[in-house]
Amino acid sequence: MLMCRDLARIASDYIDGELGPMDKVSVKMHLLMCGHCRTFIGNLRASVDLMKAHSSQQPNDELIQKIDERVSESLRLKD
Amino acid sequence: METATHQADEDLLIQGLKSGKEADFQKAVRLYTPGMMAVARFYLDNASAEETVQDCWVTVIDAIHKFEARSGLKTWLHRIVANRAKNHLRKNKREVSTDFSETLDPELADRFAPNGRWATPPTLKCNDSAEALMENSALSDCLDQHLSHLPEAQRSALMLYEAHQHKSDDVCNILDVSASNLRVLLHRARQKIYLMVETFQETGEC
Repeated sequence: MLMCRDLARIASDYIDGELGPMDKVSVKMHLLMCGHCRTFIGNLRASVDLMKAHSSQQPNDELIQKIDERVSESLRLKD
Repeated sequence: METATHQADEDLLIQGLKSGKEADFQKAVRLYTPGMMAVARFYLDNASAEETVQDCWVTVIDAIHKFEARSGLKTWLHRIVANRAKNHLRKNKREVSTDFSETLDPELADRFAPNGRWATPPTLKCNDSAEALMENSALSDCLDQHLSHLPEAQRSALMLYEAHQHKSDDVCNILDVSASNLRVLLHRARQKIYLMVETFQETGEC
């Protein structure tokens, strides 16, 4: 029988639809009976969505400037 | 429709790069450098990663003429970075070591009783949408902080899969990890973010 800890181990695979049919059924059965795990899966899913929405991918200005300079110089040398 | 527009934009950008237009290089550098850094940081320390990404952009000036659009521009750039970073590692005879044996984060593992049930279950339900949560700048800063503290392998996997939305196969190829190891990296990283959000919602502190 699937326990809460087992479910926590495979929770990402469940969220991403990567579980096999048997494991998927076991997780669904467990979620029907366990409110704590329903909260856990819901909150883990929210964390995944948060990561997707997170715009922390701001380029590092100093690095971008260095790349611009090197690219500009290389393009000039090519001409 | 959105994909078609995106594809048309990318085709235009590629044309500009092939013609050596500096403005298009500047646009591409801003668009793709964060993802390229995520790939490089999987293998290298920050200084070497920055150097590798700079070198890659110079390489791209000539290499772009060989780009045949069999993959997207992003995937192609990420592969160039991965290959360069791996060469850099080989030269310096270092290997990336990651523990793939345990899928549960130790902090989360401690919250289960010996019988496998929750001893300290999650208490608060997260009902806000991701967009609503991101409006909280303190949470956004906290997320940045936690992302920067993730082990490099976990952060790279998370950034490529989640933030840069690569497919699993692409991430495996770029980072040279098996599909099952990628699952472990993703799950470990997500648990860290989960625990961060939970603490933040319960205490208001990072």
